[in-house]
Amino acid sequence: MKHLLLYSLTNRTELLKMKRLKEDSQLVGNVLLEIGSMLMSSGASTHRTRLTMERIAKGLGYGIELLITQRALMLTITEKDQQHFFSRLKRISPHGVNFRIVSGISHLSWNVREENWSVAQITEELHRLKSLPHYPRLVVLGLVGLAGAAFCNIFGGGAIEMTVAFVATVAGLFIRQEAMKKKFNPYLCVFFAAFTATLIAGLAEHFQIGKEPDKALATSVLFLVPGIPLINSVTDLMDGNIQNGMVRAMNGLMIAFSIAMGLFAAKMILNF
Amino acid sequence: MILLDILSKSFWAGIAAIGFAILFNVPRRTIFSIWGLGALGGLIKFSAMYFEIGIVLASFMGATVIGIISIKMAHLRKSPPLVFSIPSVIPMVPGFFAYKMMLGLIALTSIENTDAYLQTLIETVNNGAKMMFILISLGIGVAIPMLLTRKESIKKSKFNKTKKVVA
Repeated sequence: MKHLLLYSLTNRTELLKMKRLKEDSQLVGNVLLEIGSMLMSSGASTHRTRLTMERIAKGLGYGIELLITQRALMLTITEKDQQHFFSRLKRISPHGVNFRIVSGISHLSWNVREENWSVAQITEELHRLKSLPHYPRLVVLGLVGLAGAAFCNIFGGGAIEMTVAFVATVAGLFIRQEAMKKKFNPYLCVFFAAFTATLIAGLAEHFQIGKEPDKALATSVLFLVPGIPLINSVTDLMDGNIQNGMVRAMNGLMIAFSIAMGLFAAKMILNF
Repeated sequence: MILLDILSKSFWAGIAAIGFAILFNVPRRTIFSIWGLGALGGLIKFSAMYFEIGIVLASFMGATVIGIISIKMAHLRKSPPLVFSIPSVIPMVPGFFAYKMMLGLIALTSIENTDAYLQTLIETVNNGAKMMFILISLGIGVAIPMLLTRKESIKKSKFNKTKKVVA
């Protein structure tokens, strides 16, 4: 009788321990997927995402296997000496580039590895990173407008052309932000922005403002150039993540095509 | 005079880099370094082009230097290298050639005259090839230093860790 009681007691603690382990690996798996999807949507390359997730998992004492695609993450997490594993698929929602998150998660991964952060600390830090502010809208508009003027200068435009490029870029970016807020298709947002910018720069060309108005026209859409998809695509291809690289390249080409369509539409209206 | 022209262009390249950095919401402590990197990349590219090196190789040189220094910067300013390298390389992205190529492609749909068609086709292919190779050279220029030092930094960190455990 006594033996039986003892047996059932140990069995019960075993069961409890197993249950706890299972819950732990679920918790860790969900946190890792969250980290991975945040990284992918804020503009990190595939290799960096994989490296960071593996580093954090190792720091917490788990092994992981990963499948990373552009729109979804698949993760299997196993404990070192246990039979338990946990698998989950998570969609990656496109949010737009945010290097503050990339930088913050990089710090976080080193903290996990060197200062043995717990899962609770990681979740807290992720909340903090998500709530970090963007730059004020006016600052963004002004500085991106300056970037447009800078492009115009690089291509040999004078002060008047630079002003035209500044105004066109600010208007284009403003339209893009508004379209993003209204949740239009992202390529359509780019189209609207390119259309607005070209229309303004084209009007300047129409009324012969400045010496070389075509330079302002060509540089007013450069703020839309898909730099991150294209550069990340080459990085991914170099790392051997051919599939992701091709997807990113195609995405970049689609954006370039939307810019061209916006340009084309505005030019047609102006030549009419 | 030419030196002044190159310097002013590099200055503006740095400004363009800051514009993109703000768009990508980089941490505030990195902005000044991004301006410096963008200007340096522009300086190298424009000087190389002044010495009649082709635009592809010139962009590659600029991007490689940016890639190498951005790794140093990553240690100094405590942010991953791509936060520095991508915004400062973007002013070199061949948007102008992409624009010309797209206009050419659109024009190709409506030209009837054979000679004019051939002329446009030649220009379009030329612009497209330039755009593609500049892009590849930018990507590789930024990636090569990362690929080279990545191994090193992992080794280094492992080395550090074992040392800490021993101590």
